Amino acid sequence: MSFLEFKNVEYSYVGGDDELVSALKDISLTVERGEFVALVGCNGSGKSTLARLCNGLIAPDGGEVLVDGKPTTDKSALFDIRKKIGIVFQNPDNQMVTTIVEDDVAFGPENLGLKPDEIRARVDWALKSVGMSEHAKSGPFRLSGGQKQRVAIAGVLAIKPELMILDEATGMLDPNGRREVLEVVKKLNRDENMAVIMITHFMEEAAAADRIIVLNKGSIAADGGKELFNTPEVFEDAGLDLPLYVRLARRLNDIGMDVGCPLTADEFAAAVAAIATEGGKR
Amino acid sequence: MRDVSMGQYYPASSPVHRADPRFKLVILILYLVTVFFCDSFFSFGFMTLFVLITIFLSRVPILKVLKSLKLVIIILVFTTLLMMIFYTDTKSAPLAEWGIFHIYLNGIYAAIKLGWRLMLLVLMPTVLTLTSTPTELCDGLESLLSPLKVLHLPVHELALIMSIALRLIPTLIEETDKIVNAQRARGAAFESRNPFKKIKAMIPVLIPLFVSSFRRADELADAMDSRCYRGAKGRTRMKKLKAKLSDFVALLFWCAITVCILFLNYNWFGWAFITALGI
Amino acid sequence: MIEIKNLSFTYSPKTPFTTQALFDINLRIETGDFFGIIGSTGAGKSTLVSHFNGLTKIQKHSGAVIVDDIDLSVKKIDLKKLRAKVGMVFQYPEHQLFADTVLKDVMFGPKNLGLSNAEAEKRARDAIALVGLDCAEIAERSPFELSGGQKRRVALAGVIAMHPEILVLDEPTAGLDPKGKREIMDLILRVKSDCPTVVMISHNMDEIAEYCNKIAVLKHGRVMGVFSPRELFGSEDLLESCGVELPLVTELAVKLNALGIAVDKSVLTENELFEEIKKAAGAKNA
Repeated sequence: MSFLEFKNVEYSYVGGDDELVSALKDISLTVERGEFVALVGCNGSGKSTLARLCNGLIAPDGGEVLVDGKPTTDKSALFDIRKKIGIVFQNPDNQMVTTIVEDDVAFGPENLGLKPDEIRARVDWALKSVGMSEHAKSGPFRLSGGQKQRVAIAGVLAIKPELMILDEATGMLDPNGRREVLEVVKKLNRDENMAVIMITHFMEEAAAADRIIVLNKGSIAADGGKELFNTPEVFEDAGLDLPLYVRLARRLNDIGMDVGCPLTADEFAAAVAAIATEGGKR
Repeated sequence: MRDVSMGQYYPASSPVHRADPRFKLVILILYLVTVFFCDSFFSFGFMTLFVLITIFLSRVPILKVLKSLKLVIIILVFTTLLMMIFYTDTKSAPLAEWGIFHIYLNGIYAAIKLGWRLMLLVLMPTVLTLTSTPTELCDGLESLLSPLKVLHLPVHELALIMSIALRLIPTLIEETDKIVNAQRARGAAFESRNPFKKIKAMIPVLIPLFVSSFRRADELADAMDSRCYRGAKGRTRMKKLKAKLSDFVALLFWCAITVCILFLNYNWFGWAFITALGI
Repeated sequence: MIEIKNLSFTYSPKTPFTTQALFDINLRIETGDFFGIIGSTGAGKSTLVSHFNGLTKIQKHSGAVIVDDIDLSVKKIDLKKLRAKVGMVFQYPEHQLFADTVLKDVMFGPKNLGLSNAEAEKRARDAIALVGLDCAEIAERSPFELSGGQKRRVALAGVIAMHPEILVLDEPTAGLDPKGKREIMDLILRVKSDCPTVVMISHNMDEIAEYCNKIAVLKHGRVMGVFSPRELFGSEDLLESCGVELPLVTELAVKLNALGIAVDKSVLTENELFEEIKKAAGAKNA
């Protein structure tokens, strides 16, 4: 049994002209514990809808979403499902419930009904994990966007979920903030073996994941490892850019300089260097 | 617009910060009632002394507390002036007069007392919000109001609403600022002197503000749901409120002050009591 | 042309909470410039540009800002004239939409300039077309039911319809997907043919490198210098001392150089880097 399973999920909403707009069409996928998945797609591709289906914030119109075998439509299972799957949203200002960092992080564990000592321990641990311990007592107005978003991550982390979904959590941040958040997420996946679904349209971020799911107009266009960069049409059709080094590699391949399909910027540089020196020897 | 000092917590380690918020709230109510009973300059001085001691003990810079007066300074000056001008004393001769305005010595006294009282009324609540986090205040309020649960009053929800409001007010003020600037940049005439035009000019600010408030509320609700919120049911707190001996002592102390003020004002012991103190 | 002379700005002056946001800024933005302003969050970028249309008043003895022939340091400024001249697009401009139809929203600015209904409507329709939206289809719809990218373009149209001569943009592409970003940048280039001067604040170094001809770097409220993109992004020392992110192309060029591939580090676009790699590898191949 998979940890998270979408079975032929359909979802539609009422659009501006009172007509039904289909946001997701026949989505089937599974996510296992410990996975690091990037979910990419342009605005309006249904990414956020998919995230909200995972922990039962919205219910599918067709098909089923199962978490550890339990459907999200089962009201009695919802609390357990939300303990297992946490979501960090896009706007850091709209996720904080109170004005003090540590009180906010405590909100989740408090809802779980834990003992005060246990909550305290979890809050301290969560803040330490995201590197925000020294700001435990400060208010959100003195924090940068990246710091606020790290607090939001700590707030979800303190519930100790098995899967954390970041719904464009870096979308409103500057490059520094984006890097901070990405580092924290990578660390949590590595050290805590927490599964991550990173929803983003920054392809450089998607390249950090082990698995990439491409969403195009409400359907899954591709689902696989970084070898997906070999079939760039998938991304282009979905209105996405490939990482810069993949675009360059393709163009070099086209003119007969075979650099293969590098999966990181460093691999690209190495491949170019290999060709150049090889040519030099010839 | 940038300095909203009400509701802003000032982190520090002090006996006032550590005090139980329930006791702080009760003491505040006691204090506010007492200030209304203050009548003589001596009693005002007496209260001011204890306010200053509290501020000193709280380790909050005094300027930070005094900043709260900035918000009410206009009301303060205005009411004080009105009191001075319109006070009529039938028993003594006015010190000065212009037309219908008469200034009496007692009028000046009354005006000073009024201003002083307003200042005292503003200062202590500010000390409370500077030394207690919104969470503490809301927990304190929830705990104090919990007997009302018997009447099916949603006490927990009310406290939560208050907490979220305190959290969002500065954000919304900032947002208003941004929208006003954006519309001004599009030529909106907030500078207009015509009140009708001024009200009309607010529409392009109010509508985006409503839209964004609803969006924020939606997102906050999703975030809270995602973090396993399901109302007061089964919810525990990280910081459990625990009354300490010092809280009871502080409460007793303020009760004593209240009694003193009442004695002073109503002169229950006769002047002999005060002369015995050597004042 | 915008000329900034010795401009300083302090928040809450003469109180214990005063913080100085700008220190003695001197800049000259010429007509025809695509002028980039970069710097980390809190460097004073937004405070600086909010002076350009009088939203922030110049404080006493704190320098001067001159927009064409309007001196903003004098007491009485013709705000209407200034705001017709300088169009300002804030971060997430879609948050300022308010009217019940797209057309009315876009007409808001022109009407505030005192134009007749007919003239305002004409300008609005032109602007909606210019930002790449189908006017016939969208004009009577509510702006609130559009997609995120469309809303932003409507908001931009609202400023463009005022026919500014100087367009100031604060992070125009923030929060958009790659396609949306390109569309906005393309439309800014289209607008630039009528509105010759564009000032853009951005955190996206790729955009700055590709579009701007001059870049001012701000750090802690001070101007670290004004550079051409090649000067700035070609010099690692300069980038380091100014605390500027590398654009992705520069980053890749630096990596290649570290491995002994001598590509020019001052490349600004993907195409330039491609040609450089071709040349460098080809030279060794030959």
